Amino acid sequence: MFEARMAQAALLKKVLEAVKDLVTDANWDCTSAGISLQAMDSSHVSLVSLLMRKDGFDMYRCDRPISLGINIASMTKIMKCANNNDAVTLRAEDEGDTVVFTFESADQEKVSEFEMKLMDIDSEHLGIPEREHTATVKMPASEFHGICRDLSTIGETVQVSVTKEGVQFTASGDTGKGTITLRNNSSVDEESQQVVITMQEELSLSFALRYLNFFTKATALADSVTLSMTADLPLVVEYRIEDTGYIRYFLAPKIDDDDDEDNN
Amino acid sequence: MHDFSFAPKSKDARKQQQQTLDDSKQHHQQQQDNQQQQQPAKGTAAMPTVPRSLSDGDNGAKRRVERSASGSKKWKAGGKNSNPESQDSAFVDELGDMGTNGERISDVARPPAKPMDSSKEAFVFQQLDLDSYLDVPLPGMPGPQRGNVQIFRLFGVTKGGNSVLMHVHGFCPFIYTPAPANFTPSMLGEFKMALDKQIKETTSSAKDVPEVVMMVEIVSKESIYGFHATGKRPFLKIYLVQHKFINPARRALEQGTITLSKLGTLSYEVYESNLELNLRFMVETQLVGCNWVEVPAGKYKFRSFSSTPKPVSLAQYELDVAFDAFISHPAEDEWQQIAPLRILSFDIECAGRKGVFPEPDKDPVIQIANMVQVEGESKPFVRNVFTLGTCAPIVGSKVIACKTEIELLESWSAFVRECDPDIVTGYNITNFDLPFLMNRAKHLGARKFPYLGRLRNVQSKLSETKFSSKAYGTRESKVTSMEGRVPLDVLQILQRDYKLRSYTLNSVSAHFLSEQKEDVHHSIITDLQNGNDETRRRLAVYCMKDAYLPLRLLSKLMCVVNYMEMARVTGVPLSYLLSRGQQIKVISQLMRHAGQHDLVIPVHERQGSDEQYEGATVIQPKRGYYDTPIATLDFSSLYPSIMMAHNLCYTTLLSPQERSHLHPDDYIKTPNGDYFVKNKVRKGLLPLILESLLSARKRAKADLKKETDPFRKSVLNGRQLALKISANSVYGFTGATVGKLPCLAISSSVTAFGREMIEATKQHVESRYNVKNGYKHDAVVIYGDTDSVMVKFGLDSLEETMKVAQEAAEYVTSKFIRPINLEFEKVYFPYLLINKKRYAGLFWTRTEKWDKMDCKGLVTVRRDNCPLVVTLINTCLHKLLIERNVEGAIDFAKKTISDLLCNEIDISQLVITKALTKTADEYDGKQAHVELAERMRKRDAGSAPTLGDRVAYVIIRGPKGAPAFEKSEDPIYVLENNIQLDTQYYLHNQLEKPLMSIFEPILGSRAKELLSGEHTRVVVKRASSAGGNDKKSRGSIMSFTRAKATCRSCRALLPAGRTTLCSACEKDIDVHFQRELLKKRQLEDRYARLWAQCQRCQGSVMQDVLCTSKDCPIFYMRKKVQKDLRMQNEVVGKFDDSW
Repeated sequence: MFEARMAQAALLKKVLEAVKDLVTDANWDCTSAGISLQAMDSSHVSLVSLLMRKDGFDMYRCDRPISLGINIASMTKIMKCANNNDAVTLRAEDEGDTVVFTFESADQEKVSEFEMKLMDIDSEHLGIPEREHTATVKMPASEFHGICRDLSTIGETVQVSVTKEGVQFTASGDTGKGTITLRNNSSVDEESQQVVITMQEELSLSFALRYLNFFTKATALADSVTLSMTADLPLVVEYRIEDTGYIRYFLAPKIDDDDDEDNN
Repeated sequence: MHDFSFAPKSKDARKQQQQTLDDSKQHHQQQQDNQQQQQPAKGTAAMPTVPRSLSDGDNGAKRRVERSASGSKKWKAGGKNSNPESQDSAFVDELGDMGTNGERISDVARPPAKPMDSSKEAFVFQQLDLDSYLDVPLPGMPGPQRGNVQIFRLFGVTKGGNSVLMHVHGFCPFIYTPAPANFTPSMLGEFKMALDKQIKETTSSAKDVPEVVMMVEIVSKESIYGFHATGKRPFLKIYLVQHKFINPARRALEQGTITLSKLGTLSYEVYESNLELNLRFMVETQLVGCNWVEVPAGKYKFRSFSSTPKPVSLAQYELDVAFDAFISHPAEDEWQQIAPLRILSFDIECAGRKGVFPEPDKDPVIQIANMVQVEGESKPFVRNVFTLGTCAPIVGSKVIACKTEIELLESWSAFVRECDPDIVTGYNITNFDLPFLMNRAKHLGARKFPYLGRLRNVQSKLSETKFSSKAYGTRESKVTSMEGRVPLDVLQILQRDYKLRSYTLNSVSAHFLSEQKEDVHHSIITDLQNGNDETRRRLAVYCMKDAYLPLRLLSKLMCVVNYMEMARVTGVPLSYLLSRGQQIKVISQLMRHAGQHDLVIPVHERQGSDEQYEGATVIQPKRGYYDTPIATLDFSSLYPSIMMAHNLCYTTLLSPQERSHLHPDDYIKTPNGDYFVKNKVRKGLLPLILESLLSARKRAKADLKKETDPFRKSVLNGRQLALKISANSVYGFTGATVGKLPCLAISSSVTAFGREMIEATKQHVESRYNVKNGYKHDAVVIYGDTDSVMVKFGLDSLEETMKVAQEAAEYVTSKFIRPINLEFEKVYFPYLLINKKRYAGLFWTRTEKWDKMDCKGLVTVRRDNCPLVVTLINTCLHKLLIERNVEGAIDFAKKTISDLLCNEIDISQLVITKALTKTADEYDGKQAHVELAERMRKRDAGSAPTLGDRVAYVIIRGPKGAPAFEKSEDPIYVLENNIQLDTQYYLHNQLEKPLMSIFEPILGSRAKELLSGEHTRVVVKRASSAGGNDKKSRGSIMSFTRAKATCRSCRALLPAGRTTLCSACEKDIDVHFQRELLKKRQLEDRYARLWAQCQRCQGSVMQDVLCTSKDCPIFYMRKKVQKDLRMQNEVVGKFDDSW
């Protein structure tokens, strides 16, 4: 038996919003520690990793580890039926093939129950080992969102350069070139508005904006975002979900086209 | 049973064991039986290869390299085999069966020509090809006696198989112009002088010609265009000494430069100046393509080396004839026969470099295989192969080993001259083999090579042409000149006459001959060449098979006979049929008939106008599933019969002025508003042509019924087909706005009549067959298109429906003018009407049993769908219409969808092909196949598809919102790199529409269930080893990930230390282990069967399988199973640890 209750449906809605562009179907792995989801996008360029610890739930019970195969689009439709303030409960039998969503309104006067059929998704469970990164940049999530949105009007690729002074995002395309620079300003009082750069050495990497724009769908989940970079390793974009866990996106660095053709 | 159109049906008649290896269960049992039969027979030869090849790894490229590195050793070992026969391929046996070395095999030359007395014997031969040249006139021949004159060469073969070249002298090209008013015969001399002078002044090449204008005479002619009450009028017929002066003459006449003393300076309208010289010659001498020519005794002279002129060709008989001295026999009765033509089919192999398509200035030609067959015989009598370097003997064939490449090329060229073929064929020889040989010879300086034609001292030349036709699209091609030999490239024939998914030799052989061939990748060829005698022998056998298959295709499809009959019917030379479009055939017939009726054809200025006219009508379909018999009434030869019935022709078209002179009874107004005179005033030329064609077809069909000899039967059948096609092309000619003589008044009147008739038929049927008139039901016309209507008479029994329909056809026919004829042909029962031009039904012509399942406009016949759709829809229709098993059809569709989502469908079933007709820049939008071709060119320029090729691709998963053109990928690349297919794309963009279209009329709203039911909830996602081809984000996250173990049973995440099952599932470990083991065994079994299948296909169980055929579903299956098996091995291996 698996059962988990969350005080605010809004959180689950936001989580779905953050993964639905990358993943169509995924296994939600439930263990006694919490719920996790790990999936690559369909073109195998990026990976999303979601963790919701049991502490984040009002109530959490998981008798044995189970895997819930969920079609994200179907779940999103069901979650649309919940109000943001509703409490939501997920329930699944150990051997069952459905998951039940229960929405209770804040005033306890309305209870709705939805049953969704599960899918049997046969896929490898892939994870990326945690490691130290050469450079990390913490910045307001909305700022990052804006940068990605603006630069994607210029080009398809963004070059991220980290120096002691700040971080620079550059995109160039047929129409021209755009550069946005953020200075290190850890001095701002409000923590969510801080731009904090920690680095061992300067580096400059390129990433596909198309995917970054998928990642920023998670902006609603957190005030700030952390970008962790190391040369020749995937970029990690992490949004902390308050009191609950995180959603992390991994994006393979872009290889220059020229190299690519030589290799072939 | 359902037809898996993509699966090979390789049934070797001798062995009877080659069965289609197929996914479906029902074949499974059979397959195993075969396997059991096979094993005792072949020993254990098939099996030991399996484990070894498994360890080879699945990377095709890598495997090839490994193979080739150790290749020579392996093959050497094979050569030492004590029993070399056992490793030979089936094709070698076949070659052996054709005869041994002792027979005619070295007898390449034609039978000796027996001496003939030209004064006593008539000379008879079948001409095949003609051309013309300029030379000094031969004394004693008619025509101009000074300067260079136009001489024609007719190449052909006698009944005894001797080659002939006939020089025809004295023919002058001519043009017409209407004689001006008051022109009298006394002015002819002055006119001739004036024109002659004018041409000489304006044309530099005419300056030294003694006489440009040969003769001018007054003839009585009439323009073909429009009806003229005045009838014939005087025309000037102007003979010119050479064809090239026709245009200067036309300019001189049209531009008003001719001054006559009594009439002053006038400009003249010119007729028939745009007709081709060869065709003009053929029309005037009544030659038609491939007919028999007889020269009476005493009218010809043989050339010999002791006389003048000396022979210029290699032909056994070479003679000179005057253009009016020979008889041209129409292809009827005894003159229908075909001379023993020699057909040479050849194929070359080049030692290419890895990853690059062979280039003639870098890569050597290493083998040329030849097969020569006499048309009508069943086996090639010459079978040989020219090899570079030594080669072990091949039974039944001659191996000619050459030391150098120059020797190879020159001795092959000498062989061609010696065996002297009339027709040269092969697969893609015009665009690859011949140009490659020509360029290679040029590069190496093989000076004796480029003499492939019949003329001594005339070099073959390579040139490029672009052929553009509305019907066949634009194709670039190369032409290698070979005077006197007709090139008949099988690939070009197939591309013209058949719509196929793929045009590789392998896939067309599978399609037409039910035979697969080994497809050796060009990079392996070099390794085989660099091996030893035995490896070169293997290559030689492969090469000979490639030379043999085109011959088999030609005879199976009866191309030579059909093309020859087409040439005879339409009167054009054989070579025009492949190099020219439809129009030339109609022009040839029009010229012939016009000449007989003293009509002259005006020169139509080409205006690229896109004037459109209304086409045929379609009665709005009443969609649905009809479970009662639906009768189909067809107008037979609708358009030709309309033209005949209403006397529509150029010659009967009335202009408003002409109409004012006529009585309204003398002409008709077409529904389109054009006027044509009636039959009684003047019979049109086109109706005459059509009548002669259709009556000739009737005769041919009648003869066909009587004929018993299979060869003559095929000739007659080819004839009636050619006649039918010709009759139908007349209408198209009048509507071709870029043509020689378009006349939209005719073509749009024809379609207007057609529309009216369809509507009238509906009225007649519905107003007669109804309850009011005492019939049981009201008849309803549920659909009608162009020349047919579908009628629901409402009767339940087939027999009654057929009776009523027959009667209805006769009744409606009586309402129309002869020869318009409405026929009852067939009943559909049941009938599924999906939309305009889209329907399916069970076809009945007799009451006892249905004839076939007929599908029109459904995906089954379209090529831009993947085979999965075709198979699925065909099977569903079969279940729905024939078995009447709706639930079965639904189950099958669900099963297919579920397999698709679980990645269980073979990739070969998902391949889509599209022709690359333009370069990327010329296409308006971005298209999947164009983009892929571009990407493939970047990966490997050699193997990438080029213009005119069909590109095969699959759709792979891409980022959300990525357009389909970014997601197209080469199937082989997908297989090698383990890339995920976009199953959702296939479900929604390929399967959904056709499935809904057939199920909705039957199931209504329940049909949606097919796409979202329970069966869609199991999906398989595999990680790929390479990133997508999304160029903007290349680089895969895969290389950075670590797979974590999940439970094999419940998919729960496993804690560290566990590899197979979670603690909850562990209690049933034996069950799970059994299941995985079984799965592994099944895969192993399947792999062994596939490998054996490929070995049988290559005809040898002792050699490794080299084949990488992109058309072969077995190849894809073999690759996939190999991959799956390796994964399954890993899974089972983990159990071993935890056991």
